[in-house]
Amino acid sequence: MLNKILFSSFVLVAVLTTSINVFANDDVNVYSYRQPFLVEPLFNEFTKETGIKVNVVFAKKGMAERLEREGEYSPADILLTTDISRLIELKDKHLLQAVQSPELTAAIPAQYKAADNTWYALTTRVRNIYSAKRLGKVDFNYEDLADEKYRGKICTRSGKHPYNVALVSAMIAEHGEAETLTWLEKVKANLARKPQGSDRAQVQAIHQNLCDISLGNSYYFGNMLNDDKQKVWADAVYINFPNQKNRGAHVNISGMAMAKYAPNKANALALMNFLVSKPAQKMYAETNMEYPVRPGVQPSKLVASWGEFKADTLSLETIAKHRKAALILLDKAQFDL
Amino acid sequence: MQSLINIENLTVELQAKIILSNVDLSLEKGEILGLVGPSGCGKTTLLNTLAGFIAQNAGIIEIKPTNKAPIEISINNMLPAEQRNIGMIFQDYALFPHLTVNENICFGLSALAKTEQQNRCAELLTLLELSEFSQRFPHQLSGGQQQRVAIARALAPQPSLLLLDEPFSNIDARLRNELMIEIRQLLKRLGMTAIFVTHNKDEVFTFADKIAVMHQGQVLQVGSPASVCQQPNSWQVADFLQLGSWLPASLINNNNKLSVRTLIGELDEQSIKYQVLADLAKQESNNQLLIKPNNIERCQLKEYNVVIEHISVTEQGFHYLLRSIEQNSELSFSQLSYYSQELHTLGDALSVRLKADSFHLYAVENNHL
Amino acid sequence: MIIGNTSTSWKFFSWFFALALISPIVVMLVGSLNNAGDLFSHLWATVLPEYIQNTLVLGVLVALLSFCFGVPAAVLISQTNIVMAKQLRWLLMLPLAMPAYLVAYLYTDLFDYAGPVQRLLRAWFNWQSPNDYYFFDIRTLGGAAIVISLVMFPYVYMLTRTAFEQQDRNLLRASRLLGCSERQSFYKIALPLARPAIAISLTLVIMETLADFATVQYFAVNTLTTAIYDTWLGYGDFGAANALASVLMLFILFVVVAEQRARAGQRHQSSRPNANQERKKLSLTQQIFGSIFCWFLVLAGFLLPLTLLIIMAIDYADYPQLIALIATGKNSLEIAIYSATIATLIALTLALFHRLHQSRSRMIPLQISGFGYAIPGTVLAMAMLATFGPLDHAINDVAKGVGFQAPGLILSGTVFAIIFAFVVRFSAIANGTINAGISQIPKSLDLAPGSLGVKTLPAIFRVHLPLLKSSILVAWLLVFVEAMKELPAVLLLRPFNFETLSTQIYQLISDERLEQGALGAILIVLFGLLPIIFLNRQKDS
Repeated sequence: MLNKILFSSFVLVAVLTTSINVFANDDVNVYSYRQPFLVEPLFNEFTKETGIKVNVVFAKKGMAERLEREGEYSPADILLTTDISRLIELKDKHLLQAVQSPELTAAIPAQYKAADNTWYALTTRVRNIYSAKRLGKVDFNYEDLADEKYRGKICTRSGKHPYNVALVSAMIAEHGEAETLTWLEKVKANLARKPQGSDRAQVQAIHQNLCDISLGNSYYFGNMLNDDKQKVWADAVYINFPNQKNRGAHVNISGMAMAKYAPNKANALALMNFLVSKPAQKMYAETNMEYPVRPGVQPSKLVASWGEFKADTLSLETIAKHRKAALILLDKAQFDL
Repeated sequence: MQSLINIENLTVELQAKIILSNVDLSLEKGEILGLVGPSGCGKTTLLNTLAGFIAQNAGIIEIKPTNKAPIEISINNMLPAEQRNIGMIFQDYALFPHLTVNENICFGLSALAKTEQQNRCAELLTLLELSEFSQRFPHQLSGGQQQRVAIARALAPQPSLLLLDEPFSNIDARLRNELMIEIRQLLKRLGMTAIFVTHNKDEVFTFADKIAVMHQGQVLQVGSPASVCQQPNSWQVADFLQLGSWLPASLINNNNKLSVRTLIGELDEQSIKYQVLADLAKQESNNQLLIKPNNIERCQLKEYNVVIEHISVTEQGFHYLLRSIEQNSELSFSQLSYYSQELHTLGDALSVRLKADSFHLYAVENNHL
Repeated sequence: MIIGNTSTSWKFFSWFFALALISPIVVMLVGSLNNAGDLFSHLWATVLPEYIQNTLVLGVLVALLSFCFGVPAAVLISQTNIVMAKQLRWLLMLPLAMPAYLVAYLYTDLFDYAGPVQRLLRAWFNWQSPNDYYFFDIRTLGGAAIVISLVMFPYVYMLTRTAFEQQDRNLLRASRLLGCSERQSFYKIALPLARPAIAISLTLVIMETLADFATVQYFAVNTLTTAIYDTWLGYGDFGAANALASVLMLFILFVVVAEQRARAGQRHQSSRPNANQERKKLSLTQQIFGSIFCWFLVLAGFLLPLTLLIIMAIDYADYPQLIALIATGKNSLEIAIYSATIATLIALTLALFHRLHQSRSRMIPLQISGFGYAIPGTVLAMAMLATFGPLDHAINDVAKGVGFQAPGLILSGTVFAIIFAFVVRFSAIANGTINAGISQIPKSLDLAPGSLGVKTLPAIFRVHLPLLKSSILVAWLLVFVEAMKELPAVLLLRPFNFETLSTQIYQLISDERLEQGALGAILIVLFGLLPIIFLNRQKDS
């Protein structure tokens, strides 16, 4: 009898699970590293236009692993990531397929997509240096963060965060590993506190006089200015685009790719095309203060008000290539400890 | 001889209920007192009060050991348990389960030097034949062994008074008597003064030098077992000690001459011991005669007066419980004991009468028998 | 005793469940063999020693603090006449209802340099910079240990208090008569006797702490779990991540074994529970300090975080949030109910097998099925994918082979995987509770039904299960609450469009918008109160 109970509960679970697993063919399934509230308005718009329903599962950790394990039976069609290294990781694991369409070719400049068309960028984001207004206007280079005059003045989130890892990768590409390690060690020595919190928390710390300088992505500044509570933090700092006199500011991307075994290929392509379309690119610009990759689509007014800037032309794939080296250097410098 | 422990006027109230009232007791060194009484009579409370687990509300406890300074415990001087130099053996032994036998026994010796501790421990282990178990834990021992450990542990600090709470109730009935004698001899050899509590009268007669019968928080009678048996001072004492069976009796005043009437015979005033009938006559109570087995004999009357209710076999013959044939009188009875070598069958009617002897007559509060 | 056919199938099911529950761990261990080793040596040369040191220090600190919080509280409640003992008795259990990651978030936010407390202090005293004053840094190992202990100590408190209350009163009396004062008796008798309970509860606390990731992350404290995530997500070396996870599991196993060793040879059953024991009368000073101590724990571990959540909820809650909450709440409830039910049924099967079966290896299924408790949720999720992925493939290949449509990922891609992961992770709790319940049933009752001509299975249903009723309920509730709180495993394993309360809160927290999830967080806390209310009612009756 006990066995019967157990058996029936398993049946029950099986029934429940399969009921969840049934998806109609006119859907498109997305594995997203991006948070749902950032992309949901876009998906809603897409559904409204095409009638194709978008199913999302969001996770910051382990998506690639999940996709790999699922293999040819994976339900995933589209992958959305928040930085370049994730895309390259997926590509290196042969989990992506090449996609081409006139819309994509037209919309995305060559430096913002894979040479083999396995991934496409959607937006770019700059790794800015925020500085306290009390310092006055300063022209920053990333290299300046190692300057002794900023001893105890710098705040940052964990060095292991993908945004910082990508920056370190770019530094390696520019200066080589040995010099980058020295830079990391000096930056660490300048930190006001152990790396912690988010990019916004660093701006808050500047506002509270805990430090003067922090690293942060561009769109956070816009988002903070639009938040009643956080506006005072943002008002305390300048957003600076580093290295304007030389190679330009480090830029990362958010991007998309089609899964190798995408079951709803046509719908997936439709979604990809939609995401690079002008209205969608405009939504990216407006809702999350990012820089749209599509030429001709303007950033939001607020973002535009921060001025034009020169972006580092270093290829995204080079940045991804140095990722592991960057992690090793971060460990060697014991940056987070 | 000076008494070792003196209890005067001891009164204990718990939750607004009087548990002990005006208890007086004294005990000489080396004496063993058996505290008996029905459950709920306060005997365990008395033990706990002596030990210091319960505070008295009035009265004084004096302990005057020969080799130590005397102590006096009153409400103004509530000595905590650990300063009374009293040992106790609990009903379930309360051995420390996380300590070995040796550590249990040494527990109370922490004031002594290590070597002296071990010496005394070894002595007790030998005395109680526990040497081979010294490194075992309590749960690895039998009930009897556990009890010996408990005794050794209680004796180790050489207490001036030893308290035993129903010490034999967990022991196999067959071994019990032997063990009691053994322990009694041990206590006597050590000159230990002890008070032990039991609800078993046989234990008292085997173990105690002196017994105290308690009832509803009071000590009814104290004395040697023999004197208490011969002269129980109240029906409760006689009843608890099961000194005989009860026969309802009524007092008759015949021309200012009092006599006692029962359904199996009448007694004159001279046959009644230790009681003045005139006093009893004044009370509106139910009188009962204490009947020992040899007080009844068969007789050849025309009419049968009793019927056999129950038969049991004893070493000496048969024990019958008799019921009076007359059932509607206030003198009717249903459980009168009668011993005989003769064999009767259940339901036989007999005629019996009281032998000429001296009897105890008690006034019993209604509904108590 | 189980005999006949029942015996065979019972044995089969017990081993089947146990092996199923341990399979992800085996997969993890096998996966760890598949690691190149160079990454390992790099980590060892750079950060790993410090991570390990942090892990150990954190474990020790949390154990120490939980002891310092839990044991005195247990003593005050069970052995003294502290004011409001009756209320504090259950109030002290409430922090258990708080998910650690939530309290961690609330407290780092509250006591951070930029947090309201320090801002207020700066405003009052007109301090300008951190150099003007000293304030403890919450984002340290010590801060993490304090906050984790604040929500974990009730384990220690609960088990220790019960141990004290069940101690034989006569043991303490005997000690007093043998010359020990009240205080000495406590240290020499009461405390050693409560040691097994203290040890078990501390083991639980240490296991939870070592397997934790989300909480220490808020404190910017790097532990062995950080290294696991780094190697896996950063370096993409799944083998090395598995190896590190295996090391962590060995740590935890070591703690468990050490605890069992320490208790070996001690067996005590109290014959006379000390319900009505003599309570120590506290002096006025003691009374004041004792009360402050207990109320501080209740306040810091429960009332303050809850108040913060309620304030947020009042400020930010709106109608659409409530509607969304119903959907996510339903998901949470569903998986929690399934997990609790299955874990309890398996625990019953295994514990009764252990008790009633005669095979020599009868205790093995019960023991090995609890290992999953030691694995961090995300690592477990990975192991689940590694276990069920290939199984799913086999199922699909077979289906296609015989001409059916491929059913898809029916194991790894559905809530089945989540529920399975929860059962693996929380079986230890259900097993422990039910096994403890079974050991309270006199052995003679195993035999009695047989003597009355009743067969094994009916006997279990008519004798054991009714007697285990409250243990079953407690086990069920504990797993239920843990499943409501558990985060990382759901995050990775969930199917499309599937949100639970915890994933929703996590997402909002990671975007620093907990305000909008406050309502959901309150809901989790309220569900967490259920077993506490139940446990408390049970004690009273």
